[in-house]
Amino acid sequence: MNTMLIFTLLVALMLTGMPISISLGLTVLSFLFFMTTVPIESVALKLFTGIEKFEIMAIPFFILAGNFLTHGGVARRMIKFATAMVGHWYGGLGLGGVLACALFAAVSGSSPATVVAIGSILMPAMVKAGFPKRFGAGIITTSGALGILIPPSIVMVMYSVSTNTSVGALFMAGVIPGIVLATMLGFTTWHRAKKFDYPRQPKATWAERWDAFRKAIWGLFLIIVVMGGIYTGIFTPTEAAAMAAVYSFFVAVFVYKDMGMKDVPKVLLSSANMSAMLLYIITNAVLFSFLMTHENIPQEMADWMLGTGVGVIGFLLISNVLLLAAGNFMEPSSIVLILAPILFPIAMKLGIDPVHFGIVMVVNMEVGMCHPPVGLNLYVSSGITKLGITELTIAVWPWLLTMLVFLVLVTYWPTLSLWLPRAIGMIN
Amino acid sequence: MRFLDHLEEWFITFLMGAATLIIFVAVMHRYASGLAIPGVQDWLLGLNFGWAQELCIIMFVWMAKFGAAYGVRTGIHVGVDVLINRLEGGKRSKLILFGLLAGATFTGIVGTLGARFVWENGFHYAFLSWFGTPPEDLPEGPTTPDLEWPTWIVYSAVPLGSYLMCFRFLQVMTSFVRTGELPHHDHGHVDGLDEGPPEPGEEDAIYRMEDGLHPHDLRRGVDRREPTMTSVAPDVERRSGVDRRKDPRLGDGQ
Repeated sequence: MNTMLIFTLLVALMLTGMPISISLGLTVLSFLFFMTTVPIESVALKLFTGIEKFEIMAIPFFILAGNFLTHGGVARRMIKFATAMVGHWYGGLGLGGVLACALFAAVSGSSPATVVAIGSILMPAMVKAGFPKRFGAGIITTSGALGILIPPSIVMVMYSVSTNTSVGALFMAGVIPGIVLATMLGFTTWHRAKKFDYPRQPKATWAERWDAFRKAIWGLFLIIVVMGGIYTGIFTPTEAAAMAAVYSFFVAVFVYKDMGMKDVPKVLLSSANMSAMLLYIITNAVLFSFLMTHENIPQEMADWMLGTGVGVIGFLLISNVLLLAAGNFMEPSSIVLILAPILFPIAMKLGIDPVHFGIVMVVNMEVGMCHPPVGLNLYVSSGITKLGITELTIAVWPWLLTMLVFLVLVTYWPTLSLWLPRAIGMIN
Repeated sequence: MRFLDHLEEWFITFLMGAATLIIFVAVMHRYASGLAIPGVQDWLLGLNFGWAQELCIIMFVWMAKFGAAYGVRTGIHVGVDVLINRLEGGKRSKLILFGLLAGATFTGIVGTLGARFVWENGFHYAFLSWFGTPPEDLPEGPTTPDLEWPTWIVYSAVPLGSYLMCFRFLQVMTSFVRTGELPHHDHGHVDGLDEGPPEPGEEDAIYRMEDGLHPHDLRRGVDRREPTMTSVAPDVERRSGVDRRKDPRLGDGQ
């Protein structure tokens, strides 16, 4: 009864179009005030203590690092390197785009940022080289989604915050699925390019490749700083994020010099703006999950779900459908923060690995970002390519289909995500 | 008013930069003090950065509270607007007004709750101490573990930030009533990636925050009655005459 009331209230408030954070907070306030005897003073304290965790602070740091990388010319050099390596195969620049997105994803924690960073440079080049716009748009929109699967990933930090799963293990678990998805997207690109006989690049000599590599090395080294640092235990994930932010600032301003000191405050401000929005959603989501725990909702849902006799396979199917459906209305951070506390206890009772479940959620979020009506990647690439949303939706489908196949693979083959963190001993 | 805007921007920019630097220095210190450099090592070991983590958290929470208020002004707080964008003018404006009012109510209530909490947890004591001796029975309030700052100072981010946010909601509401426009954050934009030389008078455009971030941008706010637009859509039509799709910019962290 209370469960119904809480969710009806939440959905009703959300549908009025008010910020998701506000609708979460108002649901909690009004429910606590009218239906319970919990002193609402505790709410104010929760608004502070909710984000008083050092792990959460990785989010602002990763956003800052990502902004420095995007402004600082790192993406441009990565694209040059990627096309020098794979540009001579079928798909040429397109294949280079997939690789460049994968490389940039390994230094950035956000999908739309990856789409912007790679797409805004590569798209014009592809059109100039004679590729149809739709082809390029399809590649960039979907490959950009790698941003949240290949570590670092802001969505993974969100998941770890709401379920107390290790960020480091999640990051490691994302590596192999990320490479597999990049390969699959690359294959789709190659296949379509071959079918329609799209132009290829002249094969780069090894000297040219070395030169491109040398120029991109500053950006590529960041992958080692972040992943190596976390893996060897030199840094905690948050510290690694802070190091990445300082490092990318250094590279952008002093090495590549694509950005001047005078631009730094602007980057800081826009990063702070974005981080504050995400942190505000987190605080209110923490409030909301406090309310849910207080009303024992996750437990009830779990008992009910298990009572229906649904097994692991059925539950994962239900989760996927639910997450994909939610992807039609909300952006990933909110979905993870609202649904993870509900789905996670059920998954645990069914014996699903927390890290594996996290990766499944992240891949679902990726798919949600690439299809209308709220796929952020779609809107971002529509801004870059000047294609309408409807046209883009059609352009994206071969790669979206590939992603759905990959989603099934990741969902029902846990070893794919769990092998690496197990092999290096981060989880049992 | 303009002063408040600048103070807010300056404050969150500072917190973001300073917190990053502090963690960087603390990590560097941790490893540098392990190096056996005569003289330097003793000096480094003498420094204590145990408070860095706590300070970073405090700074980011303050940044989150004030940044959230700034975010109202820049329209970065996303909502589910699939439904309301399908409604026609009158109903849509009513729902938007309701949303803004709800935001103001929520932040107002939270601000008040926070203020009461801060008052009871040491501000009352501190307040009376400033004007003579505090009464015996009043608690002095707790302090933070590492920095040993009074918690009421740290927690005052909640009332201050929430009241500021409430004020911003009311501000956006008045301007919506007056002009029918909302601030709008554009996720599809990236600075500094433009092709070709900038147009005259637009040289600094790549680093101007043209994402509807300032009150004067409200005038140019997007017409969200476009049925296909959602809050995350790069609004191409905002600046009439200029095709903004030519300069994709960034501001996103998904």
